[in-house]
Amino acid sequence: MEFQLNEMFKHQFTVTLDIYNHFQMCSNDRNPLHTDEEFARAKGFPEKVMYGNILNAFVSYFIGECLPTKNVIIHSQEIAFKNPVFMNEKLDFEAHVSGVFEAVNAIEFKYKFIKPDGKIAAKGLIQIGLLK
Amino acid sequence: MKRAEIISQLNEIFEDIIDEGSVSLSETSTSNDVDGWDSLAHIQLIVAIEKTFNIKFSSDEILSWNNVGEMIDCILKK
Repeated sequence: MEFQLNEMFKHQFTVTLDIYNHFQMCSNDRNPLHTDEEFARAKGFPEKVMYGNILNAFVSYFIGECLPTKNVIIHSQEIAFKNPVFMNEKLDFEAHVSGVFEAVNAIEFKYKFIKPDGKIAAKGLIQIGLLK
Repeated sequence: MKRAEIISQLNEIFEDIIDEGSVSLSETSTSNDVDGWDSLAHIQLIVAIEKTFNIKFSSDEILSWNNVGEMIDCILKK
């Protein structure tokens, strides 16, 4: 098995303007919380809130591009949003192997995105399969 | 743990993973008897069973099962 229990992976992600624009085009979600600075401020945020599901796309990148093997497929992906993310914030991504299921060639990761102030932006669980 | 307790927990796991309503497993149940018990669900089921019972299966063990009763036999041996 290529993965060891508790093995840690780290990466850094930033929600840039380019990523924000591409995600908006892809999702077609123009809710004012994500697009209108005044609306976001009226709701108590300092600026417009980035789409939480951009972080899901980062998870996709992590699984598809950052692991030591490309022979992977995502079985399931869970995310819980804890704190809002804003444009150009650098997010430290940490994932560790929380389960190795050799009988079915599956690996489970627990992950979190950490904001510059140390708060958790989001955390969750991913299960992948290792393709033969 | 008694077989009846295990099968009760397996019913809960299957209902959660397969998500197609109530599941009522018996010792002779096979994947042909449970709607939604396909190959991907099977992986999720094994992962959930290992986590729930805090056990590990080998691939040989899984391949040897012919029905739920044999799965329970394997769980009881752990």
